[in-house]
Amino acid sequence: MSNSEVEIVVDDPTAPEADSPDVASNRVVDVVVSLLLLALAATLGWDNWRTGIGWDSTGPQPGYFPFYLSVVLGGASLYGLVAAFLSRKEARETFVTRAQARRVMAVFVPTLLFCLLTQFLGLYVASFLLIAGFMRLVGKIALWKSLLTAVAFTAVMFVTFDIAFDVIMPKGPLEAAFGY
Amino acid sequence: MEAFGLLLHGFAVLLTWKTLVLMMVGLVLGIFVGVLPGLGGPNGVAILLPLTFTMDPTSAIVMLSCIYWGALFGGAITSILFNIPGEAWSVATTFDGYPMAQQGRAAEALTAAFTSSFIGSLVAVLLITFLAPLISSFALKFGPPEFFAVYLLTFCSFVGLGREAKHKTVISMSLGLLLAGVGMDTVSGQLRMTFGSAELLRGINFLVAVIGLFGISEILLTMEERLALRGHAAAISLRVVLSVWKDLPKYWVTLLRSSFIGCWLGITPGGAIAASFMGYNLAKRFAKDPDSFGKGRIEGVFAPETAAHASGTSALLPMLALGIPGSGTAAILLGGLMVWGLNPGPLLFVEHKDFVWGLIASMYLGNVVGLILVLTTVPIFASILRVPFAAVAPMIVVSCAIGAYAIQNAMFDIWLMLGFGVVGYVFKKIGIPLAPFTLALVLGSRAEDAFRLSMIGSGGDMKVFWSNGLVGSITTLAILLLFWPVLDKAFGSLGRLWRPAKVAG
Amino acid sequence: MRNIMKSAAALTAMLASVPAVAGWEPTKPVEIVVAAGAGGASDQMARMMQAAIQKNNLMKQPMVVSLKGGASGAEALMYMKSSEGDPNKVLIAYSLIYMLPLSAKIPFNWRELTPVSVVALDQFVLWDNASGPKTVKEFIEAAKAASSPFKMGGTGSKREDHVLTVFVEQKTGAKFSYLPYKSGGEAATQLVGSHTESNVNNPSENLEVWRAGQVRALCVFDKERISYTTKVTETQSWHDIPTCKEEGLDVQYLMLRALFLPGKVTAEQQAFYVDLFQKVTQTAEYKDYMEKQALKPIFLTGKDMLQFLEEDDTLNKSLMTEAGFVAK
Repeated sequence: MSNSEVEIVVDDPTAPEADSPDVASNRVVDVVVSLLLLALAATLGWDNWRTGIGWDSTGPQPGYFPFYLSVVLGGASLYGLVAAFLSRKEARETFVTRAQARRVMAVFVPTLLFCLLTQFLGLYVASFLLIAGFMRLVGKIALWKSLLTAVAFTAVMFVTFDIAFDVIMPKGPLEAAFGY
Repeated sequence: MEAFGLLLHGFAVLLTWKTLVLMMVGLVLGIFVGVLPGLGGPNGVAILLPLTFTMDPTSAIVMLSCIYWGALFGGAITSILFNIPGEAWSVATTFDGYPMAQQGRAAEALTAAFTSSFIGSLVAVLLITFLAPLISSFALKFGPPEFFAVYLLTFCSFVGLGREAKHKTVISMSLGLLLAGVGMDTVSGQLRMTFGSAELLRGINFLVAVIGLFGISEILLTMEERLALRGHAAAISLRVVLSVWKDLPKYWVTLLRSSFIGCWLGITPGGAIAASFMGYNLAKRFAKDPDSFGKGRIEGVFAPETAAHASGTSALLPMLALGIPGSGTAAILLGGLMVWGLNPGPLLFVEHKDFVWGLIASMYLGNVVGLILVLTTVPIFASILRVPFAAVAPMIVVSCAIGAYAIQNAMFDIWLMLGFGVVGYVFKKIGIPLAPFTLALVLGSRAEDAFRLSMIGSGGDMKVFWSNGLVGSITTLAILLLFWPVLDKAFGSLGRLWRPAKVAG
Repeated sequence: MRNIMKSAAALTAMLASVPAVAGWEPTKPVEIVVAAGAGGASDQMARMMQAAIQKNNLMKQPMVVSLKGGASGAEALMYMKSSEGDPNKVLIAYSLIYMLPLSAKIPFNWRELTPVSVVALDQFVLWDNASGPKTVKEFIEAAKAASSPFKMGGTGSKREDHVLTVFVEQKTGAKFSYLPYKSGGEAATQLVGSHTESNVNNPSENLEVWRAGQVRALCVFDKERISYTTKVTETQSWHDIPTCKEEGLDVQYLMLRALFLPGKVTAEQQAFYVDLFQKVTQTAEYKDYMEKQALKPIFLTGKDMLQFLEEDDTLNKSLMTEAGFVAK
């Protein structure tokens, strides 16, 4: 069997450098998240209070549980906020380094654009653009390979979902031109 | 034997060309998502779930459970060949699997992994086969108070037994419960927390959240790391397979012990991760030469794989029987059941016999077909890892979007998925656990409905939760578990026995 | 796979035969929207139609069942509303089109959709556990005498089952606690398990447990008995169930099962579907289904349907108002 043995090596030329400076510490992020959760708890709590948080003849009203859950969420976030302020350990922990943030953004921004394009051009066109664009621009893969992969993948998805399994995806002007 | 007759009936339902083709398709897709970095079992199942929406529920669950088996097998491939555990529970497999691959015994290690997965699942399926009829006989005892008590038990065990900071578990769970309440309240027929938005009317779908929380956020996290990898390719010849199988009887103690640990932890909410470590550690402790573990010993592959699969499979029993998912993937399958309009719980065994036994039969068949499939196709799947991540990442994003959209045909859900992706990324980094969140999202409204129906029934009297032996003991147990950390301190030695995760380290 | 072949076949058929009759026809799969979960009465009806259309080759394009039971069916209504002008979506509607906008203030009005046809009327039956009282009279007396109110199971809140419960209360003076379950099937099994004393399920929802002798049909909420006389249980047919009026409980309610297209579709498109579902009601599958589910046959389109809808709407509105279920 050892004659069938082959090494597989895949390199990552764009890997983030290990010594990149920090963008934020865990403490900062923890505080921000706690504040956001607190705001969410307040909004939902207020809405449920409006819906009704008492007990009527048939048990708790629709807002009863969500209201007290908002209180619990708010309380836990407040505790988290204080804990994060006091924590020395979290202050030392890195949330993300600059190089890492760049890489994460390199995925997140295209994903965001993809969602936006899906809204207007339909999923398949957006999918083609995302795959081709990402492979070419972020992955630095040859243009023909990128285009070919994008076309093939999008076509396979279209046949699988829209034709074979009757799961209908959002479509745009291009598909409409072909009568779909 | 009632179970046997029902099982045969289940096989009869399955043995059609159409179902067999679906099984193969499911397995191939499953192995695919198991091997791809950044995907893995639960995500893969969630993304591929929409494929099943236009099928009848039985075909759908057959395909899904095959995707699940495929993903489990796929995880083993990357652990052994590349030292990359596809799932947390394959971590223990890498301890001895990768050294074996380095020594040129990759084929042996893979065969061992696949075979032991097969054995582990088989033991668990046998257990399900014989326990399922008992459940249906006790199904009618379950009214709203009993259901609520069971949900309460699940929530309390998470808060009480979780190892994360308590306030973070509470944040995660209360957020999940709140989001589960968005939309229409079934008991009063009123809308709440929708802020007049037609998009929020249908509520926040659990599966959309999962795809975002695990799929999208996983890609963001993966990008942070260095993606270079180095591994071994291997083809499996029949000779190797037979020689491994010939030696199997020698390891029957390990296999049996791991199966037992797996089943036990799968049914109680211990999970496959704890099971795989415990299986490995115990095999090491009971070995004559524990030092040889970690250096490429075949038992080190058998033990964790058997336990992980026994646990992953038996986790389906509480999911089907009580509506409580014992694992992440079981939670997704639970979400799927609800999409098809099947209500998991004891009544499922009474109302949808065909479905339950079709599923159980598909576990047997899926395992056999899966074993053969992976043994013959390993080289093809191993080479998937050569595909650069820059090509894989956008494809995963597209698959996630398709999955999220198809659940309710809503563009809004794609945005929701993106939002949950960011939330998942941030939460994972600052240590807010995601498991309680997903659990709360999937069970939240059912728990609330059960509570309120109990209240309507009893006229607002809380004593209903202690009104008979069944519901009383579950409720009491739930409250005990909630205060477990306190009790644990009081009876320290007892605690160590109950918490296997600690043993695993 | 099957679908690929099917669409390939459809494509060849389309190329081979230029349609002789001018008129609109769907060019892509038609989505049949169900405002309830899988396995419920609407879903079963959708699957029956799908099978009837496919087996009898009534349409070239395939039909896809799309379940939109979220928010007690409001999801389906909003989905239809937002699909204005799309002739490839058909909604299977029932009384929720009148009730949901009233009880939950959902911005929806059935007049915004295009009516196609009413295809059936669904009955409601008062059921109790086989070990419970044997007649309506005994049942009402037992309910009045009980120390805590009898529990009545049903599907959803402030909907047909709930309205019926309120009316039974008003007519008899007995008190019930109404328990809203997620599906009729759940209401049925909860009755069998004695977690509720009674329910007002449709015949199809309780069919299995009735056949198994676990529940008793007390009376049907209609002016006349159900017409089907084939034995369903060992001793009874649907026709053997007395009407509630016969038993001294004067409450009647029938629920429509109708088909709607989204708003702003052309007259040809509407005509195609009217014709299609007319053909469906003549198939053996439809007739068989109607009897199995004990549905009341009816077929209304055009003006008749509009008149029926308006009257039904007024009736439902007054029932909802009287029951106090209209949101302020």
